[in-house]
Amino acid sequence: MLGGFDGRKETMKFRTLAAVAALATVTFAAQAHGPTRQKVSESIEINAPADKVWAIVGNFQDGSWIPVVEKTEGKGGNEVKATRTLTLKGGATVEEELAKYDAEKKTLMYRITKVDVKTLPVNDYSSTIEVEGDGAKTKMTWRGAFYRGYMNNDPPPELNDEASKKAVSGLYKASLENVKAKAEKGS
Amino acid sequence: MMRKAGVFRFTRRARRPSSPPTRGKGRIGAWGLVWMALPSAPALAQEALVTAQLGNAVEIVDLASKKILQSIPVPGAPAGIALSPDRKTAYVTRPEGHGVSVIDLDARKVRASLDLPGGPLGIGVNPTSGEVYVADWYGTRVFVLRPTTDGLTLEGEIATGKSPSGIAVTPNGAALLVANRESDSVSIIDVASRRETRRVPVGQHPFGLTLSADGATAYTANVVSNDVSAIDIGAGRETGRVTTGQRPYVIAFAAGKGFVTDQYSNTVTVFDPATLKALAAIDVGDHPEGVAATRDGKTIVVANWGDNSLSLIDPSSLAVTGTVPTGDGPRAFGDFLR
Repeated sequence: MLGGFDGRKETMKFRTLAAVAALATVTFAAQAHGPTRQKVSESIEINAPADKVWAIVGNFQDGSWIPVVEKTEGKGGNEVKATRTLTLKGGATVEEELAKYDAEKKTLMYRITKVDVKTLPVNDYSSTIEVEGDGAKTKMTWRGAFYRGYMNNDPPPELNDEASKKAVSGLYKASLENVKAKAEKGS
Repeated sequence: MMRKAGVFRFTRRARRPSSPPTRGKGRIGAWGLVWMALPSAPALAQEALVTAQLGNAVEIVDLASKKILQSIPVPGAPAGIALSPDRKTAYVTRPEGHGVSVIDLDARKVRASLDLPGGPLGIGVNPTSGEVYVADWYGTRVFVLRPTTDGLTLEGEIATGKSPSGIAVTPNGAALLVANRESDSVSIIDVASRRETRRVPVGQHPFGLTLSADGATAYTANVVSNDVSAIDIGAGRETGRVTTGQRPYVIAFAAGKGFVTDQYSNTVTVFDPATLKALAAIDVGDHPEGVAATRDGKTIVVANWGDNSLSLIDPSSLAVTGTVPTGDGPRAFGDFLR
């Protein structure tokens, strides 16, 4: 959000959230998170073979299928513990680490190691990408597990569980649509 | 978590031979006779009481048939659970709804509710007095609640370290132990005076806390240092550690072994409590959280938060013997089997 992943929020909201985030830091310096981890799962059916879809999303060092990503820089390839830094349109960055990678099963899991809640309102975020082929068709699923952006009690609406889920869900849907369009083009 | 089923099964299991009818005397022998007399009856109706946090419900699951007998709506993201000494009442924390719900397990209904400040999460019951202790995740305190005919009343609070999480009470009801997640320590509290008497440093971010059956040793699952700390309660010090998978969460005991849920590894680490050596890692579901042993000590039950299921493990063979679907986001953080 906030000129970050979902790219829809206006400047005024950005300021409000920045203030809230600053307050949260002051009142709760310890790195605890909320008590309720959230989950989001989105999937899409793509009219293209799984190999073609995996070629688009299966390289951890290339996040260009996520629409808001401008640049991917990283090291370690597709090995577990490989890292990458996504630079988003607008300049915000997200640091991530690969936790699981299985080219055979066409699935990978990674964690965000550093992100500003102004970019994506989440804490302790992990996500799994799965590509399941069925002949000429493919089902791609993107699942995430995370805590809300606000780490203290009684979150403001901008950083509560619902807002966090909405931001992640919006990111997933836009990205899946983008992969579908890419994979189906010229196939 | 005090009286965590697993802990008790641990010793009972150790004393019990594998075929009860061969036992000649004692309570176990009598149980064996009952089983022999009623061969077609289920040994014991064993239930899991699962807090489905994202589903805002507590589910009563029959472990034999692997079916949900009843889903009881509980708003406020129910997470922690503990049972009364007679196992007829469940106390469930609501960290988002800020309180505790009291569930009559025979009637399968919410009987009462108490609002609390802060973020009630970890919960335990004193096995002798029935007092209920609730940890405030956002604070540095444990609430003391007294059961009444109407439900629960808030009696007071006890100061702890930061982000108190897992709770256990020694079998004699005299000492309360609290894992202080953000203080990397365990508070040992004198129940009578409601004061912390010792604070024991452990690994990083202890969350679940489980006692040995004799109440002499406590074990914490340290989510950041990826290990389990063993604590000599009498001496007030950590005596050793076991390396686990990633993000260990809660510990249970059965068949002479410890079982630790590893949230990020999707495994259960098995260890020997005597030697503090890891023995095995068992693959379970996505984001395993709550874990406990059934009362007969023959099954370890794991709540898989990510894929909405329970994994059933045979603690002797270490095989996964079954899976039970649950509602959304099962946590079952605490004493959830009866």
